[in-house]
Formats: sequence, structure tokens, C-alpha cells
Amino acid sequence: MYSLILLNGGVGTRIGANQPKQLLKLRGIPIIVYSLITADKIKDITQIVLNYPEGWRDEIEQVLKAYAISTPVTLVEAGTSRHTSVAKMISACENDDVIIHETARPLVAQEDFERLIASEFPNVALMTQIPFTVAPVAPGTSMITGSLNRARLRNVQLPQKFSKADLQSSHEKAAAQDLEYTEDATLVVDNGHEVHYIDGSDMNLKVTTPTDVRMAAFLLRPEEEIDE
Amino acid sequence: MSKTLLVTGASRGIGLETATRFAMAEGDVDTVVMFARDSEDFTTAVAELKKSVPAGTTIIARTVDVGDLEALKTAAAEVLEEVGQIHLLVNNAGYTNPVPIQQVDQEDFERTMRVNLYAPFTLVQSLLNNGNTFDLIVNIASTAGINGRSGWLSYSASKAAVINMSQVMREELAIYGTRGGGLAPGRTATALRKVLAPDEDPSTIMQPQHVAEVIETLSSPMGRFIDSENIVVRL
Repeated sequence: MYSLILLNGGVGTRIGANQPKQLLKLRGIPIIVYSLITADKIKDITQIVLNYPEGWRDEIEQVLKAYAISTPVTLVEAGTSRHTSVAKMISACENDDVIIHETARPLVAQEDFERLIASEFPNVALMTQIPFTVAPVAPGTSMITGSLNRARLRNVQLPQKFSKADLQSSHEKAAAQDLEYTEDATLVVDNGHEVHYIDGSDMNLKVTTPTDVRMAAFLLRPEEEIDE
Repeated sequence: MSKTLLVTGASRGIGLETATRFAMAEGDVDTVVMFARDSEDFTTAVAELKKSVPAGTTIIARTVDVGDLEALKTAAAEVLEEVGQIHLLVNNAGYTNPVPIQQVDQEDFERTMRVNLYAPFTLVQSLLNNGNTFDLIVNIASTAGINGRSGWLSYSASKAAVINMSQVMREELAIYGTRGGGLAPGRTATALRKVLAPDEDPSTIMQPQHVAEVIETLSSPMGRFIDSENIVVRL
């Protein structure tokens, strides 16, 4: 069984909203609800650990109640960064295995969680190929500094699953060295554990900018509108 | 898989025909919950249906006035507790009192909106809030909700609202995989129709069982090919 660490602490500065972006509505429904309803359908997820931006607990609790989320939810106040939020949330996880997801990926499919859970390995990340070329640069001088082989690179997605022990010890080591990571698959690898990847879907996009919000709303249209 | 159907306004007309059709069919539905106001019609209909349903089919009858929204919420919560899940919901109960604009009584207009619009909304919302997810919701609207009719202001207005509300429900509840929407019958031989058109010969117009047949089709696997718009059913 799994505890789901559902990251929900961002304040949406890039989206330009005056409230947490998870409470922004996508086709009239708060973005946070999409991930909650999908996760609620997964029998192997028996606990959801959800963080909330400071001052927004009531609003999040109202959403949980209105949508009658049946999986038990543990609320944890967000840390000062994504990295510190995950570190705080691990201790609230009751199961030996955890899945990390973020509410800013509302198009996650039930199948994404199920494929992750079905993998034989304990530490697994969903990743997608990079269909365009990326280059290393020196921003200070506006110089391109070399080349990268995109066949050996992947776009890191969520959800990811980890053994709680591996994730927790990796965070402890990072804290001891005063290091912060922007995601956990590379953190766990850097701390000596094996992490596998399986192919994710490009539908599972991260909603970060106002353009992303419009794209996600477009992708969530009913089929009959897509026909037209 | 055993499924539960809830029908409001189930004492007669489209509601009773729908309850009967699902109860008698050899489909997935093996529990039919009937909501209606207390009446001799309802008592008789329930007793007769209970006698004739196949073994293994359960009829649960509740007397409730859907216009009493608090009573409706209580009945919905109690029934959900009893059956576990309402898979199919047919919001059928309707009310009308057709009068000219000059004579529309505010309280009567409000009752029309309560029964025809707020009750279906309240039933859906309270079941969702209690953790229910639906396979299908059918809100019985009317062709009078597509085009306003002289003398039917409150009824036409309420049914127009039902059609739009049903579109919103279809869009917003798609995240649960819920299908459905509004179904707008034309002239149907019901008691409500008799109020709207007292001089009409009921045998010359569409019968309630025809509407029930369309609801059954909507609930079938092929229903998903026809549920993207408000469905008009008429002769």
C-alpha cells in the first residue's frame, strides 16, 4: 500500500494569480480536484498527504469535504520550498512506500498511477522523451558551451514512487549537506539508490504558466467538442 | 454487476414507467428506489410493482415531497446509506400551474422552481457531497424549456433552466465518468400534461412508456453515443 505525497504548496506566482494556483479553476473545477479524484480511485493508495500554502487550510478543507474524497487525507503546512515540503511530508506517511504527485498536473491518468504501482522496482519515475533539442549555455556571456545528446536525457514528470526509507534517508543526507533538489528522482539517485524510469504521457503536462492553463482546459474538453 | 436506480416523481407517468421498466428488465439494475409524495397512486403502484418484479429485484419506496429540499436531502442520505451507491438517477418529479403572466403568484413560481430545478440540483449535490458517484443522471426537462409557451411562464422558465443545468452537470461531472444530461419530452400523456392541456385526448400523444424506453436506451452502452446534447423525445 502507498501513501501519496500530493504537493499543493505553490502560490502560483508564475501564473499571475492572487491565490494558490491549485484553487484556480480549470473548466470550472479547482485544479487540485482533478488529482484528488484520480488518486481516490486507486485502491493501493490508502493515504493522501496533502500540503497547503500558509493561510489556505480552510479553503483546501472545504474542497476535500465538498468532493467527499474517501481516501484519508493528512494535511501538512507547506515548507519554504518544494524540497522542504517533501521532507516534511515524508514523516506524515504511514505506509512503507510512497508516491509523489503534484496538483499542478491535473491531467494525470489513473493508468499513470497504476503503471507506476505495477512496476517491479521500488523507486520509479515517469519520464518522457525530449522531442526537441536542448543545449548547455553560459547565461552570463550568452554563449553556447557544448552539446547534449537528447537520447540520454528525459523530461522528469510526476508521479514517482519510492521506498519511504530510501526517500527519507536521501532527504536527511541532503539536509546534512544543505542541498536542495527541484525533484526527488535525481535526489534519490545522487544519494546512492537505484531509480528506474518508465515512459510517461505527454498529456500529463504541468500547469505552470497562463498558456499551460489554456492548454490544459483545451485538452479537458469533451470529445464532441474535439470533433468539431 | 448490480446497480441501483433512483427515480423521483415515481408514483405515476414517466417516473412510474421508468421505475417499472428498469425493475422488470433483465439488466444490471436490481434495486429501484422510488421517491414520490404520499398518495394513493403511489401506495398502489409500489404494492403492484413489488408483486410483479423478478426474484432478486428490490423496490425501495420513500414518501418525500421533493419541493421540501431539507426533507429531500434527508431522504437521499438515508437511501444512500441503505443501498451504498446510486448509479442511475432520473430526476423526473415535476410541477406546473399554468397561468397568464398577470396572474403568476410569486410563491407558486417559487414552488415550480423548487420542484423542477432546485430539487434535481439538491439531490445531485447532496449525493455527491456524501461521496456518491453516478454512472448516469437524466434530468427530465421539456420541449417547453426549449421554446417558451404562452401561458406557461413559470414552467417554461424552470425547464429551460433544467436544460442548461444538465449541460453543466454533464461537463462538470465528466471527471467521475458520469454521463447524462437533459431529456426533453414533447407532449406526453401524463397527469402534468393534463394540467397544461386539459382538453387534449391523451391517447393521441406520446405515452410515458415511450420516454421510459429512451431512458433505458440512454443507460445502455450505446447511450454514450447519444448523450452529448439535450435529447428531445417527441412524436
